[in-house]
Parts: sequence; C-alpha cells; structure tokens
Amino acid sequence: MSVRKIVTVVEEIHTEGGRAVAQPARVAVVAAVVANPWAGQGFVEDLAPGIEAHASDLGALLAPAVLDALGAPAEAYGKAAIVGLGGEIEHGSALIHTLKFGDHFRKAANATTLLPAVEKRGPAGVVFDIPLKHITDATIRSHHQSFEVRVSDAPHPDEIVIALAAAAQGRPQQRLAPLTTEQ
Amino acid sequence: MQERTDHPDENIGLRKLVLYRDTVVTEAGATPAEPARRASVAAVIRNPWVGTGPSADLSPEQSRVAPVLARLLTGRLIAALGGADAIESFGKAAIVGTAGEIEHAGALIHTPYFGNLVREFLQGESIICFADTRAEAGEELVVPLWHKTHAATRSHYQTISARVSDAPRADEIVVVAAASTGPRPHPRIGDRVTDPVVTTETLEVVPS
Repeated sequence: MSVRKIVTVVEEIHTEGGRAVAQPARVAVVAAVVANPWAGQGFVEDLAPGIEAHASDLGALLAPAVLDALGAPAEAYGKAAIVGLGGEIEHGSALIHTLKFGDHFRKAANATTLLPAVEKRGPAGVVFDIPLKHITDATIRSHHQSFEVRVSDAPHPDEIVIALAAAAQGRPQQRLAPLTTEQ
Repeated sequence: MQERTDHPDENIGLRKLVLYRDTVVTEAGATPAEPARRASVAAVIRNPWVGTGPSADLSPEQSRVAPVLARLLTGRLIAALGGADAIESFGKAAIVGTAGEIEHAGALIHTPYFGNLVREFLQGESIICFADTRAEAGEELVVPLWHKTHAATRSHYQTISARVSDAPRADEIVVVAAASTGPRPHPRIGDRVTDPVVTTETLEVVPS
C-alpha cells in the first residue's frame, strides 16, 4: 500500500451551548492518504484482488492509531473513503466496505455494530463529514454525531483518503429522550 | 493529546481545542530522508474585548489570557510531537471573529505574554513567525513555521494549515501554535551559505 501521509485530528470540546461539558468531549480521526490501487486502469471489473491486497493492511494501520489518538475507550465510531477525481466512488467503497477492513477497528474497540460511513469523490481539500454511531448498539441516540474533516492537499486525482473516527462519548450536551421512550 | 486532561482555566472562555497533525510517509513517490511530523493546535476562546471599542486598553486581559493559552497550546503540541526536544520549527497564528478587531488577535499572540512563553516552552530562541486574519467560522489559515533557533535555516521554511469547522464565531478568537519536527520532505534549494551572490548586475537576464 503506497501511503503518502497520515493525518490525525483530535477535537476536545470544553463548553457547548454556553455551559461547561462535564468531561471534555473528545473525538479523534486518523486518515491515510493512499494511492488509488485502480488508478489509470480504466474500468476494472473485478476489485477483489485490490481489496485483498490493501483493505486489511489499511484497517490494521488506522484502527490502533485512532484509538491511541483518542486516548480513551471508544464509545462511538465511523469511517470514510474520499476518492480523488480520477477514481470511482466504488474504489473507496471497495477499501472500506469489507470485514477485512472493519474488523480491525471492531476488534480493537470491542465493538459489534456496523461502521457508519461516508463515501464521496472530490478535489484535494474537500470537506467531508464522518457519521459516528455507538459501537455496540446503533440505536443509542445520544451517540449519533458526525465529525467534519478536511485534508488540505488530498486526495489528488489518483488518491483515496481512508479515515477512521472514534468518539469517547456521545454528543457534548446530549439530552434527547432515548428511542425506547417512543416505542 | 494522548490522554484526557482536566479542564484548563475556564476563565479564558475556552470552547474547544483542535489538534491537527500530519506525518509525511512519501512525497513525490519517495520517502523523506528526515521524515517530519507537523502539528497545529487551535484553541477557540471567547473574545474578551468584543464591544469594547478601538481605544480600549487591551493589556489587562492580554496578560491574563495569553499565558494560559501559551501553556495550554504548547503542552498539547509537545505531547503530539514527542517532546520539546523533537520540535525543530515553530509558528503561531490567530483568527478573530467578525465582531472583533485584528488588534485583538494580535494582543493574544504578539506580546511577551504569549510569544516569550511559547518560545521558552518549546526551547527556542528565534522570533516566532505568524499569520493572522479576521474571518467567518471554518476559514483555513496557513500557518508559517521556521527554525526555532536559527530562523534563516531555509530547509525548515514550511507551513501547516489550521482550520476549525465551526470557529471562530463572531465573538470568538482562534489562537494557534504550530510546530514541526524537521524540514520539508525533500529540501534542496540550498541555503545562505551555498547561495551565489545575486544582484541585478550578476544576472544575465535582468527582470524589467
């Protein structure tokens, strides 16, 4: 896997809505800017060999890194694949929508649910929002959140940005009634 | 930012802290001889001078708020880059929201209450280069960095971007400290000691 750079973003919210957050709310993202394995090959029918070659390695690279950056157990998580203008969104999806990729994060975070994802194609510097949900129960409403990311010089047309996001808690001032109160 | 920390001084009106770090693995297809990590840490705080007018004395708040920011931001930078010893170049920046003056941003980064302390915490000697602007939330600011003890070291002239998606609000200021552990990925544009003498007389083609 040809990696150009690794970007880490950690946000810590201390006040929200004008009130202090009981414990500063942390969200971390680690993104790898990688060469699109299918760049310049025209329409590739079978993506499986490329997935086999790269997806697991990417998951193994990013999962421990994002948990380390978070510095706390993850309670919510998500993922992203942002494809440069020369590629297909299918190329990004190929790298993140397999168990080979996602199981590294699930195992490291003791998680069980599907990873919510954003897949998008755009120019270098495109802004993308990663959706996050609870790691063991995707219906836990307090943990529905998203996190905005931008890498100033990526993806190039022949690159893909692959990212994982982890939150140590739900939203900073979450106070919505849980889903069960409506069922 | 490896560990959760207690609330820093709430009296500075801190809303959030954002760390951005990048590590170049390859550039132009080759691994750098000296791989560097660069980081910026941004603090979003309430502008203490909103509504005070252009003749207001900025010094009391500046001497109270800036040292707290210097400590907070450099602490996070040092943790993110592996120690003050590892840091080779540094820079600073501020983005003031639209209800404030650029002078308010300057008050937080251009006085000894910030600059001297950042230099001391990062074990530098150089003047710290900077950028500042007034902008809406989400504006990116490119923060210049240069060598922390030998500012003219050309290999270390570089920048890192800082951006907070929802800040500054009109009544906020984003204050940034940034650093790098090394030079640009493939520095090869010489240095003062290798430069030829360049004047209009030495050039064969003089720009007109």
